[in-house]
Amino acid sequence: MLRLRRRAAEPEPEPTADLALEARDLERAFGDNRAVAGLSLALRPGELYGLVGPDGAGKTTTIRLLTGLITPDAGVAFIAGRRVAPGSSETLEALGYMPQQYSLYGDLSVHENLWFFGKLFGLSGHAMRERRDRLLEVTRLARFGDRRASALSGGMYKKLALACALLHQPRVLLLDEPTNGVDPVSRRELWDLLHEFLHEGMAIIVATPYMDEASRCQRVGLMHRGRLLAEGRPDELVRAFEHETLLLHTDDRDALEEDLASHDEVLAVSPHGSAVRVVVRAGAAEAFRRTLPEAIRLEAVAPDFEDVFLARVRDAETASGVGGPRG
Amino acid sequence: MDGLRRARAMALKEVMHILRDRQVLVFALGMPVLLLLLFGYAVSFDVEHIPLAVIDQDHTPQSRELRAAFVSGDTFVPVVETSDAEAVEPLFRRNVARIALVIPHGYGRALGRGETAEVQLLADGSDNTTASVALGYANALALSVNQRSLATILGTAEPPLSVRVRTLFNPGLESAIFLVPGLMVLILVIIAVMLTALTIAREYERGSMEQLFSTPVGRLSIILGKLGPYFVLGLVQVLLTLTLGVALFGVPVNGSVLLLFAVAAVFLLAMLMQGLLISVVARNQMLASQLALLSTVLPALLLSGFIFPIENMPPLLQGIANVLPPMHFVRALRAILLRGNGIAVIWPDVLALAAFFVVLLTLATRRFRRTLA
Repeated sequence: MLRLRRRAAEPEPEPTADLALEARDLERAFGDNRAVAGLSLALRPGELYGLVGPDGAGKTTTIRLLTGLITPDAGVAFIAGRRVAPGSSETLEALGYMPQQYSLYGDLSVHENLWFFGKLFGLSGHAMRERRDRLLEVTRLARFGDRRASALSGGMYKKLALACALLHQPRVLLLDEPTNGVDPVSRRELWDLLHEFLHEGMAIIVATPYMDEASRCQRVGLMHRGRLLAEGRPDELVRAFEHETLLLHTDDRDALEEDLASHDEVLAVSPHGSAVRVVVRAGAAEAFRRTLPEAIRLEAVAPDFEDVFLARVRDAETASGVGGPRG
Repeated sequence: MDGLRRARAMALKEVMHILRDRQVLVFALGMPVLLLLLFGYAVSFDVEHIPLAVIDQDHTPQSRELRAAFVSGDTFVPVVETSDAEAVEPLFRRNVARIALVIPHGYGRALGRGETAEVQLLADGSDNTTASVALGYANALALSVNQRSLATILGTAEPPLSVRVRTLFNPGLESAIFLVPGLMVLILVIIAVMLTALTIAREYERGSMEQLFSTPVGRLSIILGKLGPYFVLGLVQVLLTLTLGVALFGVPVNGSVLLLFAVAAVFLLAMLMQGLLISVVARNQMLASQLALLSTVLPALLLSGFIFPIENMPPLLQGIANVLPPMHFVRALRAILLRGNGIAVIWPDVLALAAFFVVLLTLATRRFRRTLA
């Protein structure tokens, strides 16, 4: 196919050495919607990175940009030192990808799905069987080898999809909401599996809307409206959090929550048992205290990752002048 | 080599899909049999056993002779004999008779005197085909009666002009022999276009295309692997249709069977490309099946010369028919099967099929991108 190369004068971008995955200023819009708006990422081999954000933050588009399934409007991405382009076999061979939606063949069995994707990655014979059996072993799917994929439970299906993505021993693994629709036990199993493969030097990106999963990652990026609001180790992000978290004990939670919506210094509100958990802007806690009725008892607590995320989103929305507090 | 191995894996997977989904197999192998039996036995363009009302008001040996001439063949079956001319219309209305022969009083006498004798033939125009065939037949009968009378009057044994019609290649003018090539086209377009359009649209719809695109499998391997099994299935259907046509309806195979399969292969390739193009544009099964039906059955039925002669169509339709593959394939098939023609005669049709294939291959591969948006 004829492809015109524009900006021929510019030098071809070079990947940074020793990185398993690199994204520089990725941009992609769908119509008016800037799904990814200037996003940069860098992962070393053996690193587990959590891309955390609400639905519509641009996580799936980011991951698809890294696979080459979507072409960027601007910016470049490198996988294993090679530039990502649609259908570029060099990056695809180094890549394992597990889409968010069901993507295996429901009418084929567990074995047949593994066989098929193994073949597409050029595996055969002994190597194929050995890796297949090991993956079936660690995913505890060995007993279900002949079962059709459509007859697997949500958790087992995700484990099979993971096994299909791991069969060719990729250097980079991209997982788009792998625990979506998976029961808590299978969820923990999946995460334990990921940590096993990290030891082998794989770089893994997990996109997830679940804040509690962020703490399982070595590094997280908080994604919102196509941008990274903050990035770092989860514990460090929490430690560096400047705002204050309070628990408000009240008899009438609904009324209190409604009342809090009008407070500018309140960055985040979430229910916490019978109490209400709020994040108050740094330095504004004393003033906030005085505006509350006597009957409400306040308790200062340590912030957690979810507080950090909700406050950062609110900060960003205030800065750009859009949106209000979200329930 | 890697590409070929991947194409083979794709093809094997496709065969698994086909074997798992009984409906596809039943559809693919049952439809040719059903259509052949339906068109071969039930649907016939040979008009026979037309119910005839005879209104004989003359009651002479001559009038009885005319009646006998009408009912001697298989074309007309006398259902009503009467001398009441008023009875005709109600008979048509009640669908008792489709055609009525009225022999008026004085017919025999006029013939005897050498005057022009008149008979009246009434036809039910609501069934166009039957009416026109019946009228043609009646005219031919009248002509032969005339000739015999003339011969008697002129005193010669032979009429001055005699046209002898001999039909070559299908002497009985049996519609089955004429229809089988057309049916083969109908069957192949439905299978090749419909099944390939569905199977590729399904990959988009179920999300597996996203997974496929994230592996190093190339577009060509995907196309070869996805379409290969349907190509083979199509050739099996050619064999099936041909065998049934020969065994059940005595369709002659006067030309080379190898050439027939070669032409069928080119036609199949063109149809597979049409299916591919539809699926990469539609990307969902619902739309793909609609587009596939519209773009195949209509041309195969109407613009192939299968039932309706292309020559009688307005120039625009003739132009479309010339571009699309069905007409060329029907022509080539009839040429090979009935006339025993070789490549020296049918090459323009083969060329047209090949051209369609190349154009659609280009369009389809251009639209078939390895990206989702």
